[in-house]
Amino acid sequence: MVATIEREAAAVPRPQRTKHELFDCDVHQSIKDYRELHPYLPEAWRKYVGARGFGGPSSGYQTSVGLYRKDVVPPGGGEPGTDPAWLRQQLMEQYNVRYVLLNGGGILGLCALPDEDFASALASAYNDWMAATWLSPEVNIGGRFKGSMMVAPQDPLAAAREIDRIGDHPHFAQVMIASATTAPLGAKQFHPIFEAAERHGLPVAVHPGVEGRAIAGPPTAAGWVSKYIEWHTCLPQQAMSHAVSLVCQGVFVKYPKLKVVFTESGIGWFPHVMWRLDRNYKSLRQEVPWLTRLPSEYMREHMRLTSQPIEEPPTDGQFLSLLEAMDAKQTLLFSSDYPHWDFDNPVEAFRAVPDDLKRRIFYENAAELYANKLP
Amino acid sequence: MTSKKQRHVVAKEDEFKVGARTILKVGGREIGVFHTTAGLFALRNSCPHQAAPLCLGPVTGTTMPSMPGEYIWGMDGQVLRCPWHGWEFDLKSGVGLYDPYKHERVATYEVKVEQGEVVLYA
Repeated sequence: MVATIEREAAAVPRPQRTKHELFDCDVHQSIKDYRELHPYLPEAWRKYVGARGFGGPSSGYQTSVGLYRKDVVPPGGGEPGTDPAWLRQQLMEQYNVRYVLLNGGGILGLCALPDEDFASALASAYNDWMAATWLSPEVNIGGRFKGSMMVAPQDPLAAAREIDRIGDHPHFAQVMIASATTAPLGAKQFHPIFEAAERHGLPVAVHPGVEGRAIAGPPTAAGWVSKYIEWHTCLPQQAMSHAVSLVCQGVFVKYPKLKVVFTESGIGWFPHVMWRLDRNYKSLRQEVPWLTRLPSEYMREHMRLTSQPIEEPPTDGQFLSLLEAMDAKQTLLFSSDYPHWDFDNPVEAFRAVPDDLKRRIFYENAAELYANKLP
Repeated sequence: MTSKKQRHVVAKEDEFKVGARTILKVGGREIGVFHTTAGLFALRNSCPHQAAPLCLGPVTGTTMPSMPGEYIWGMDGQVLRCPWHGWEFDLKSGVGLYDPYKHERVATYEVKVEQGEVVLYA
């Protein structure tokens, strides 16, 4: 009668299918063992890595509940997110998910490595590993796995070459970098990444998690916080800074087809920044003469936000007002963050949302964004 | 409505030692039964937040209310954390420890040992 968590997880299915199909824009698959990347690394980097692993730096901020949900270990054991069949069963069949965007796990840490050449080599190796495993014809049945390709923002020219190398793969649907960059993303140094992404019709996604590690700098605008709860709550600050910088530096004027996705960075800041930036634009337009429309118009057209961890205001009315204020019918993409600890269940998290808006958030916004990678 | 509660045998006492847990289906409800270092407990297997299977979560203790900078571990074996988001519940009362007003609670059930058997009333 002593039941282990794993056994009970397999034994207690909880059918919670939504009647709407989902496109889950933030799912974390993992590499079982980093030696799986060795075949895709140039020999010099294999020797450098040796037996010590990739040395992804830690920020020291440790979650008190662990990184994963407690019911996501695959039936055969091992790290969550390493078994495609289990991911299909526990996430896609359970919640009626048609497509998942696989955004990687610890690999995001390469964006904070001080050695930009090593970071670029790791990104390429990871992308090749993805193409040979999760995104391969044998594993990717029905083409329902889409992947984010990693690039190293430390070397934007190398990143652009990587996008050119694999950008037309049928299942790499976007470019991924950590939100913890060393400068706000509108800075000219990053423009080669945007130029290449636009050339291949790929959105550029930023994802938090690396804040505070290695060369990433302090994790909040005010400096080094003490607790994981502070670190995690402040992560949207990065997205806010990037959003303002991208608009003001004219990135969407230079690259008018570009889309940027703020993954796992909250949503409540989005109307605030639109309104504040619009107000400032009316006084300070002189500084950014290339902007010929209101800043909020660029944001609504070019920026997308993934939903999880969705804000949970005290009333449904406040939640629906927020969705309206951010123009969710155009800007919001559903994400679950499976198998991480702050996973959102689509049935419960969006209970208050009317069906037509649900369809936009759950599927249509993403299907439009990633249309060139869908049948 | 105590009179409507039914008696369910969960296990033999000597087969349900400290650390044991099981999840039963009782009239359409899933109920988790626990034997922890703090005793026998039973509560509904559904988190009030996003309907996660609450009773799959870890049993632990927690930091008790204290002054800033002071850390006091307590309630060992009496705290159940949701397997998804880590929300904490008092196994005895079902009350959510995150709720300052103690309004939010998970249903709890009577569970005890009778003639060498662990018995649930639900």
